[in-house]
Amino acid sequence: MDCHRYQNWGTRRDFLSRTGLGLGAAALSQLMGSSGALAAGGLPGLPHFAPKAKRVIYLFQSGGPPHLELFDPKPLLSERFDEELPASVRGNQRITGMVSAQGKLALQPSKYLFQRCGQSGQWLSDLLPHTQKIADQLCVVRSMHTDAINHDPAITLLQTGSQQPGRPSIGAWLDYGLGSVNENLPSYMVMCSVPSKGPPDQGLLSRLWGSGFLPSRHQGVQLRGTSDPVLYLNDAPGISRERRRLMLDGLAELNGIQHEASGDPEVEARIAQYEMAFRMQASVPDLADLSKEPQETWDLYGEAARQPGSFARHCLLARRMAERGVGFIQLYHRGWDVHGGLTDRLPVLCGDVDQPAAALVTDLKRRGLLDDTLVIFGGEFGRTCYAQGGANREKYGRDHHGRCFSLWMAGGGIKPGTSHGQTDEFGFNIVQDPVHVHDLHATLLHQLGINHERLTYRFQGRQFRLTDVHGKVVKALLS
Amino acid sequence: MGALWLAGAAICPAGSPLRFNRDIRPILSENCFHCHGQDAARRKADLRLDTFEGATAVLEDGPALVPGKPESSALLQRMASHDPDEQMPPPESNRKVTPEQIALVRQWITEGAAYEKHWAFVPPVRATLPPAAAWDRQPWDAWIRSRLERDGLAPSPEARPEAWLRRTSFDLTGLAPGPTEIAAFASEVSARGESAYRDAVERLLASPRYGERMTAEWLDAARYADTHGFNNDSMRSMWRWRDWVIDAFNHNLPYREFITRQLAGDLLPEPTLEDRIATGFGRNHVINSEGGIIDEEYRVEYVADRVRTLGMTWLGLTMECSRCHDHKYDPVTAKDYYQLYAFFNQVPEWGEDGRLANASPLIPAPTGAQQAELALLDQQIAPAVQALPQAPAAGQPLGEVLAVLGRAVTVLPDPAGAGFRVERKDGKLINGAKPEDSAGLEQRVTDHPVLGPVFAFPAAAWTVAPSQFEAASHKAWTWQTSLRWRGGAGVLLSNMAWQIPVSSSSHGNGFEIRINAAGGVEVRMAQKWPAYAIQLEAATQLGTDRWHQIAVVNHGTGTAAGLRLYVDGVESDVVVHHDGLSGPVGPRALSVGRKEGPEPEAFEGDLAGFQVWPAVLPADDLARMADRQLVGLAGAPGGMAEALVQLERVQSVLLRHQDSTREAVQALRFAQARRLELKRSFPSVMVMADMARARPTHVLLRGSYDALGEPVTPGVPESLLGAWPAGAPRNRLGLAQWLTQPGHPLTARVVVNRFWQQIFGIGLVKTAEDFGFQSEYPAHPELLDWLARDFIDGGWNVKDLMRSVVLSATYRQDSKMAPDLLARDPENRLLGRGPRFRLPAEMIRDHALAVSGLLRERLGGPSVFPDQPEDLYKGVVVDADYPGTKWLTSTGNDLYRRSLYTFWKRTVPHPVMNVFDTPDREFGCVRRSRTNTPLQALTLMNEPALMRAAGHLGLRLLAEGGSTDGARLAWGFRLTIGRVPTSREVEVLTKILGGLRASYQADPAGAEAMLKSGGVSAAAGQAGETAAWTALASNLLNLDETITKN
Repeated sequence: MDCHRYQNWGTRRDFLSRTGLGLGAAALSQLMGSSGALAAGGLPGLPHFAPKAKRVIYLFQSGGPPHLELFDPKPLLSERFDEELPASVRGNQRITGMVSAQGKLALQPSKYLFQRCGQSGQWLSDLLPHTQKIADQLCVVRSMHTDAINHDPAITLLQTGSQQPGRPSIGAWLDYGLGSVNENLPSYMVMCSVPSKGPPDQGLLSRLWGSGFLPSRHQGVQLRGTSDPVLYLNDAPGISRERRRLMLDGLAELNGIQHEASGDPEVEARIAQYEMAFRMQASVPDLADLSKEPQETWDLYGEAARQPGSFARHCLLARRMAERGVGFIQLYHRGWDVHGGLTDRLPVLCGDVDQPAAALVTDLKRRGLLDDTLVIFGGEFGRTCYAQGGANREKYGRDHHGRCFSLWMAGGGIKPGTSHGQTDEFGFNIVQDPVHVHDLHATLLHQLGINHERLTYRFQGRQFRLTDVHGKVVKALLS
Repeated sequence: MGALWLAGAAICPAGSPLRFNRDIRPILSENCFHCHGQDAARRKADLRLDTFEGATAVLEDGPALVPGKPESSALLQRMASHDPDEQMPPPESNRKVTPEQIALVRQWITEGAAYEKHWAFVPPVRATLPPAAAWDRQPWDAWIRSRLERDGLAPSPEARPEAWLRRTSFDLTGLAPGPTEIAAFASEVSARGESAYRDAVERLLASPRYGERMTAEWLDAARYADTHGFNNDSMRSMWRWRDWVIDAFNHNLPYREFITRQLAGDLLPEPTLEDRIATGFGRNHVINSEGGIIDEEYRVEYVADRVRTLGMTWLGLTMECSRCHDHKYDPVTAKDYYQLYAFFNQVPEWGEDGRLANASPLIPAPTGAQQAELALLDQQIAPAVQALPQAPAAGQPLGEVLAVLGRAVTVLPDPAGAGFRVERKDGKLINGAKPEDSAGLEQRVTDHPVLGPVFAFPAAAWTVAPSQFEAASHKAWTWQTSLRWRGGAGVLLSNMAWQIPVSSSSHGNGFEIRINAAGGVEVRMAQKWPAYAIQLEAATQLGTDRWHQIAVVNHGTGTAAGLRLYVDGVESDVVVHHDGLSGPVGPRALSVGRKEGPEPEAFEGDLAGFQVWPAVLPADDLARMADRQLVGLAGAPGGMAEALVQLERVQSVLLRHQDSTREAVQALRFAQARRLELKRSFPSVMVMADMARARPTHVLLRGSYDALGEPVTPGVPESLLGAWPAGAPRNRLGLAQWLTQPGHPLTARVVVNRFWQQIFGIGLVKTAEDFGFQSEYPAHPELLDWLARDFIDGGWNVKDLMRSVVLSATYRQDSKMAPDLLARDPENRLLGRGPRFRLPAEMIRDHALAVSGLLRERLGGPSVFPDQPEDLYKGVVVDADYPGTKWLTSTGNDLYRRSLYTFWKRTVPHPVMNVFDTPDREFGCVRRSRTNTPLQALTLMNEPALMRAAGHLGLRLLAEGGSTDGARLAWGFRLTIGRVPTSREVEVLTKILGGLRASYQADPAGAEAMLKSGGVSAAAGQAGETAAWTALASNLLNLDETITKN
């Protein structure tokens, strides 16, 4: 929902001197080009304190990756294979409609093994061999929990802080609060990918990168894996760069005359937006042009990165965005809602994401960008410790589970080589240091120098924030 | 908050006395009421500041407020304190009062600390107008003028007639006037002055475009969309509701009725089809079809959405704040909320629904044309039926009649290819019964000379194997049986599988044919009963204790339209209750005459001649078999009695077969078949309905669907907003009556304010959705009340309101922003100038299409699919082939319809709409943002349909703009911005054109490419020239003034 009070694009108009009679369009565009026309534009007083991170890359794994196969080893499940989940553990947990009819909640061990990795000795799954190698960079949180057990509300909660639609996404809050540092690129960019094999399951919703009740200019801009990487970025065939310049110069001049006649500052803002558009027509293709990437890049991210629209490609593009100062880089990889097909699908999904995600961290690190880039890898919830369908050593499934799940973070002032939180022996309940979605948000904002209680927007008579009325910064995660 | 206060200060007239509502309440509400308001559960220190009694109550540390004594008032002292332990609001609240605010509070206490009832909760009254002046064109203009005068400002000069016409045309029709229209208007104004304005307004109000323009605005508030939302976001059909809205505006339905019918059209004494369609308003909310969700959780969300929408659109209260706890600011408790909620909690609906189609309750909603066609057929059918003889030929003994019939229907074999039939062969019963049952069954079977083995139920139940009847939803088959019914609802065939709990995703899966208590045959096919199901019922009712022949024919489409029900060889009219089967229902063993599961049912009666064909049988075959059955029965020993009971059937057979009536009957049956075919093509629409037995409503603790608090009954906050009208029913209809009673303090104000906002870009109350304590004090309170009073007293007449506004002196001002006025009043709250702002998304696209000649106007109808990037859904939408997950681009005229008809997919809205700030409509929205972004620039520069608009506009300039560059450029200006260019503008335009011309003439390939982008072709040798004009036209469409109402 893009509904909110009227707001001028006012922040960038000051730099533009009034379009005097003598000020030609070329001069005007030169003036704007050199003045950082669309950079900045955040709220006064932000950041609230010195930030540890300047940008965030969120590698969102949509559908609910199984923590028990990836991050949270539970030997007990193997010992108690096919036994009923004890009622004392289950407690009053809601069970989804998918398995509520199934007679038994049979305990299901992971068929995949885990290793202690790196100096830190973190447990990571053999499904993630590349991630194992960067264990010392990671902080694995095993005690995430959420309020929802279905995709739409859970993913909406994770991306907007509320299960119900209508709130701004994380990136929109950041764009609203912090503005942008790159005058040629949007500060909030989004890339979506599907599994290389198998069904992508649930759809994504543009509200996940929407602006909610914030002005719609704060919404994420999707970078697409096509020849028109941002919608309508390419000039129509027949409009060369020179002709576009000619047209825009004329347009600016005519709009300048209109500004003079109407006195409306919005006209100035519009002139500036056309110039930004013109610059984006150069900067976005430059961002997406990987022809100069050396072979070692492809070695690092994997050959899949050559495939437009792949998760690997997006990880590489995320690094390039980070280099260019994009503030919030949101990736989605779909297909994790494996249910009964867990053992068939998990190897494919891990194959899609493991190498590029690890490559991204490695690449940021060697370029000196990891310190001030917060990378997060995880989904909207975990999966049950009992089988969906029957328990089976080789071929099995798991249903949604919101009481605990895992994710990892790297860089951006997060303590590397650590684990945080603990689940019970069944991987069902959290027994130590729970981290709610709101806490994750509070922590994320904190790393960017924002007090989550003070980044607010007044809508429908009350002050809203990303963390609603909840959230506490998880200090233990911070280095 | 700071910004709001500044805005408030700016509109506070200089030197006027302090007023609690305007000056003090906003400060207290924002900073104090959160902890010291009416929410007793969260109230701190037992102190309540939202009432005078509460604020002056003597507490442990004395009263917070001592009227007349600021120094003794802890309220002020705490506000002014710098001690973090003392300071109010406390530092951790992140709220802060400014020194100016503290000064105001001090002054207020000094002056006696009077509280006022919140202005918006007091019914509007007509205040005495300031003395009239020559400038005024409406009586109420005086409020604006006098306010400007008080602030030492003067109104802006009047806009030129041409500018006014363009502005008014956008406001009333959403489209700009053409150059000819503008020129004619200008000369009319010089010829006859004011009356030319009035006539122009009448013309615009009478245009069907008016309804379209008004509707575009309402669709946001009513959260209209063509998809259900959430992950699956599949298609729904609600466009008939949209048609209703267009029609309501065009016919100037009194707004009171506009409210009543949308809220409660179904509850009106004798609701028309249109009244019921109107209630689609209550069903426009999102509906979730994600497998495995908890049904009740989402059903509760839908009810809450209705309350929220009511609050936002008509009450002007943020009702949803009271869903989890008493409202923090407004005097609305959680109990008030759930009393209102109770009105909307009666819909027979499910949380998980709408995967493939509309969710029930739904009705067929024929268009006007379809209704006319239906009426025409009915007009043919009724007299034709009348004209046929009603009883067997006079004096002819029944026996003779039957003899005639017997010859007419001489035994013909049954249609070939029967897959399965129950019969006796070589003395053995062929019925598919399990062997162990057969013996017992044999004893309950009697052999009938005509019908063969007759099975007596309930005793004779047996099972049909899938190999005998493959009753799959997506396969073609025909099932027929003779049936004698003893009354009462019963099941004929069923393989419905029931899962407990009912929320499980496979609850109620299967197929069933049953008979209802009234004798109607009913078919059910369900993936998950009842939401993902087909349920249709024959309108023809069976009689008891007589033999009928019934048949069900499935075309295998998986929709209700693919099913036909025949009774005695005649296709029956049907009522469709559900039509949302979400996928194939496969064959499984069928129980005959009984139903298993939690609610077992049986059939009371006899069955015989059970037959199945794995194909669709033609209607003629079914009729013939039914005729043969009847004649056979009548001719059998003792059959005369049967024939007498079924005289109507006998007559029907006779008429069909005797020479004197055969042709007439054939014509009649053709018309009847056409009628049913027509009915099957009717679009459906979701509507409101109340369950026969009221669903109890409880306060939901913390808003949670499974935490029931105290029970409540339907009700409204009467002490706050007015008493329930005497004699009004306690349902949605009564609610509508309460909402529209003349003394209601909010409804008319909220509505009038929104229409004002539509025209001036900002409401008299800026917070159009919230008139509560946290709302902004109105910029012109007396004017708002005047307009609201006028609106109520004048019969809620929307066209009158629009007319009054566009003819006012206030509206007719020039929109130029003088620097001092801009600095003083940047948002134009004082209205010292005319409105100027960017057009809404719909108008931007419609205007471009209109000026290029591409626009294809057609009132109403289903949504259309104009161009959108082919891969827009790629990687984003759900991986299932649901309707609405693919964009099937329209062809022909539908590519260029007005934007309010563009298919609205909530999760991935059309990019041209989205980029220009349309909401996604997951919830209602009464205020769009108005941003200015580079993505908008890119869209206007390159979007393919807008490029084609440029191509056609270029051609148009060449063809009709005259013969010189200057004339053509001027024509372009007149088309796009409604005025002639200044000489400086001509100079710039000429320069651009020259540059483009040179560029394209030097580059034939580029010129050809440009023509292709513009979707046009050029005369021989004119490619460069035409390409240049295409590019120039694109520039015209990108002008700020083109996309601005000024």
